[in-house]
Amino acid sequence: MLEVIDGGLRTTVQDMGRRGGQALGIPPSGAQDGFALRIANVLVGNPPGGPLVVRDDPGAAGLEMTLGRLKLRALEDHVLALTGADTGATVDGEAVPCWSSFVLREGQTLACGLAQSGARAYLAVHGGIDVPLYRGSRATHVSGGFGGLEGRPLAKDDRLPVGAPTASVADLAGRRLRPDLVPAYAPPMRVRTVAGPEEHHFTADSVEAFYATAWKLNPKADRTGMRFIGPELSFKPGRPHYLIEDAGADPSNIVIDPGAPVGTVQVPSGVEPIVLCVDSPSIGGYARIAIVITTDMARVGQVRPFEETRFVRISHEDAVVALTAQEALIADPDIII
Amino acid sequence: MVYDEPVFKTLGDTAINVEFGDESSIPINFRILALDFALREEPPKGLVETNPQVRTLGLVFNPLATTRARIVDHVKALIAAQGTVETLPSRRVTIPALYDDPWSRECAEAFGVRNNIEYIAEFNDMTVAQVIETHTGCDYWVTGVGFVPGAFMSYAMDPTKRFGAPLYRTPRTWTHARLLNFGGLTSTIYPIRIPGGGQLFGRTPIEIFDLREISPAFADGPVLARAGDRHRYESISREEYDAIRAEVEAGTYAYRVEEDTFDCAGYEAWLVGTGEPAEKHDPDSTWGPF
Repeated sequence: MLEVIDGGLRTTVQDMGRRGGQALGIPPSGAQDGFALRIANVLVGNPPGGPLVVRDDPGAAGLEMTLGRLKLRALEDHVLALTGADTGATVDGEAVPCWSSFVLREGQTLACGLAQSGARAYLAVHGGIDVPLYRGSRATHVSGGFGGLEGRPLAKDDRLPVGAPTASVADLAGRRLRPDLVPAYAPPMRVRTVAGPEEHHFTADSVEAFYATAWKLNPKADRTGMRFIGPELSFKPGRPHYLIEDAGADPSNIVIDPGAPVGTVQVPSGVEPIVLCVDSPSIGGYARIAIVITTDMARVGQVRPFEETRFVRISHEDAVVALTAQEALIADPDIII
Repeated sequence: MVYDEPVFKTLGDTAINVEFGDESSIPINFRILALDFALREEPPKGLVETNPQVRTLGLVFNPLATTRARIVDHVKALIAAQGTVETLPSRRVTIPALYDDPWSRECAEAFGVRNNIEYIAEFNDMTVAQVIETHTGCDYWVTGVGFVPGAFMSYAMDPTKRFGAPLYRTPRTWTHARLLNFGGLTSTIYPIRIPGGGQLFGRTPIEIFDLREISPAFADGPVLARAGDRHRYESISREEYDAIRAEVEAGTYAYRVEEDTFDCAGYEAWLVGTGEPAEKHDPDSTWGPF
């Protein structure tokens, strides 16, 4: 059991999310940076689960902190690991390294500071955060009020149940990720995309501008969507006139259509492309210039307000190669030393 | 337009959209729902989930278990085997609603716009009474469920009664739950308190998203609407609204949901009789399906 002393800026219970909700409007939710949460789980000996949405197993639940400031007390001995953005965390005042497992003894306090690089930090605990499954996942969806701890962010005095241990503290502490695999969250973040279903609605110049621009993250970003500030994109002439009535007067309007579960990049009115994230709507009515590949949603989750992101177009086949490589990496026991 | 052959669009590494056209059309939706049923009967290996909507069937697949090409081939074979859609399972759901309600007015005031139902009336050259009479005057076909948990899209089945109003230019930052609204020709209800740009015109006392799942209407989960439902709205008084709301909150309200089958072929034949074109065309458009 862990006791929350301070929930920080925003901390929620997350795993690798729900599947089967697209036709109900229920988003996948889950970790914005799935790579970081899954590695944290590997470090503490938990099942990491598979990639968002297509996974068979959601993996163990951990905590996702936006920028940090979470403070917890252990009510018994636990093995923890912190990954993602480095919050300069301490245990009873002593620094603990990121991307490594460590022991939090009964009565000790873990205090996270504010991340200086990256936007989201992840905490895994051996045994996993043992809140009830809702529709096959422990991921919190705040606006729907379900999953996680009562469907809401953590607050002072919350108690987090932890699943039963299956290994000894001594065996699990002091494990770390191979240093060359620790991601650097240095802008500009490079995010790979596949051409979107309405790329052909945009002018050739606008498609070029989309890939040539260093886009700055609008600070009003959250787990639903991230808007990027940059040049205005425009649409080709020749739009069918009946779409004014069927979809709307703006050339970016399309008749309601399913999006990708995560990673859809829509551009309402050609202004500020929005990358739809883990809590995104299952359908939309705006032209989609690109889709971020599953693997790189982890990078999107680490972009800080006003930091720069560059989109790089790859083929569907190369996106699958990237996903296959990531899965092989996470399954490789030699990544932990 | 309705495409000669459905177009398969790639959405990243895990999703494919099977797009039947670029317009909102109930007959297109019949084909999509029939294909969705066929896929549920015969799912290809690696298919994770489907998301049927008005003009597109969304598919999510696991590229670690199958390939995009195998999913496309499987779906193409099902489309080739698909004849005319004669019937579909279609429930009849009655939705009581208080039109021109104080909560929609409150939202309009909070965001500095006029009472939306008056705008809807003016936009359609109607009176407010005619807005209510027209909206309660025919069934609405639910083409798909989604957006936020429990939300759905529906269209008036009688084209002579189909109307609506454009979305707000700048969406509200919040909307009360359970408000009826138009987004263009789409009629829907906000299931929960969320931002939104729909033109608000009424409130239902019943839940369309209910995590309690206590009523038999929520036996399969927290979402009331299903693609292929026929919704019929019923105008109620404030007293009736309050009485129903109390029952809903107590968990004793009997939702009015009837299982039924819909004669899709008969509907399409009737539609021709109304003078409704089978599809929309713009000879000057250069956009095309691709």
